[in-house]
Amino acid sequence: MNPAQGGWLILLTLALAMVLGIVHLPETWPQWLGWLRPAWVSLVIFYWVMELPHRIGLIAAWVIGLFVDVLQADPLGLNGALLAAITYVAWRFYERLRMYSVLQQGVVVFVLVLASELLRMLVQDMIFNRGVGWGPLLPALVSLLLWPFVAIALSRLRLQFHVA
Amino acid sequence: MRGSGSIKALFVRESGAGYLLAGLLLVSVIFVSLESTTRLLEPLRGVVATAATPLVLVAEIPYLLSQKVENVVASQASLVQQTAELERRVLELSQVSQQFLALKMENERLRELLGSRARLPAEVLVAELVGVVPAPNTHQVIIDKGRDSRVQVGQAVIDEKGLFGQVVEVDAFTSRILLISDADHAVPVQVNRNGVRSIAGGTGEMERLQLEKVSVTADIREGDLLETSGLGGRFPRGYPVGYVETVLIEPTSPFAVVTVRPLAALDRSRHVLVVFSRPEDTDGGVFQEGDPEQASDEAASEAEASAAADLNSSIEAAAELSEVEQ
Repeated sequence: MNPAQGGWLILLTLALAMVLGIVHLPETWPQWLGWLRPAWVSLVIFYWVMELPHRIGLIAAWVIGLFVDVLQADPLGLNGALLAAITYVAWRFYERLRMYSVLQQGVVVFVLVLASELLRMLVQDMIFNRGVGWGPLLPALVSLLLWPFVAIALSRLRLQFHVA
Repeated sequence: MRGSGSIKALFVRESGAGYLLAGLLLVSVIFVSLESTTRLLEPLRGVVATAATPLVLVAEIPYLLSQKVENVVASQASLVQQTAELERRVLELSQVSQQFLALKMENERLRELLGSRARLPAEVLVAELVGVVPAPNTHQVIIDKGRDSRVQVGQAVIDEKGLFGQVVEVDAFTSRILLISDADHAVPVQVNRNGVRSIAGGTGEMERLQLEKVSVTADIREGDLLETSGLGGRFPRGYPVGYVETVLIEPTSPFAVVTVRPLAALDRSRHVLVVFSRPEDTDGGVFQEGDPEQASDEAASEAEASAAADLNSSIEAAAELSEVEQ
């Protein structure tokens, strides 16, 4: 079997996640939706590393983080560190995570996203004085709620296109 | 690592990952601290941003589609009303610009009389918004002009009504604009009526700025028009920023709380102008009080600004100038 099969799908889903992370909502939609934006890239990376731990390495995750930094106007390197840490956790425990139920996986995702959003908030507060608050809780909760759907959708795609 | 004995041998490849992660985290910390203090990483950022431009454009599609749909389903009545409104505005503005030309000529003549330099009109570049930075706690947008159009970091950006923001990052084909309402932004302003100087800081709310450290005795009233003062060397002088909304004086505080409503449609404008300011339009903060030429220069520009904004009669401007001369 071709060891690099389906790499385009992984890249495509990651690109889609980045787009979803910055998509410009129409004016007529309420503004508070902006606070509910889940950590799309973290979700997608977590899935791929858990299912195919040999396909995404730490350095790749860090480089993807650079793109997220630029798209979200964060200081360069911040998202790289967060995504590399998530990748490490998913990769270190992938056998265990695959055995978990979707809900248990969701809880792990919740903890990871909450931790990374908290760290992001602290760094942003340190550099831009943006203040601290309860903001990070919302993306983590929404990520938890969305995890089952993301996991099912990506599984379908993975099987459909024989990504290995 | 986990486990022991024979199991461990299966996971030999894991051994280096912890060090790699630690290394990457260290690089990240170095990057973040470099970025927060220096501009060494700007080239790298530019390269990544250029590569990521397609993603930004794709992310804007839903918004553009919603605008299209709005246009398609707009009723004929509302379109007719919109056209009438626009025609009325064109008439109004052409009348204003006719007077503006005359006033400008007059002002140039007066400046010649005073022996100070004539002010050249600033060049502008029309740009379109192609994206917004999604974080709800910062106000930044992305425009479709970048290094290819000679945009530079620090340039002022205005929309049709007033000051919009400033360029904070330039990539190959796009630039990032920090809006004046961002909590991290501040702009030196002066009251159009009497030239009282202050600094208008963003609050993180689109509809509100706040003047910083205004003493309770400062002559700032509700309804005053604030314009950029040109001090600080970033923004060209004389662009309207906003109207003073409330002036709150608390007996216990040495400072008045002055809130300002920005004129620019910060959350609605799709087309903005990037201003290529001339060096003589800004003062660079080297204003000396004892220097008579500088003082009259200042007064002249003040007179010009107020004349252009309020269309006062030109006699008043001349009177103000002669007052300064005496």
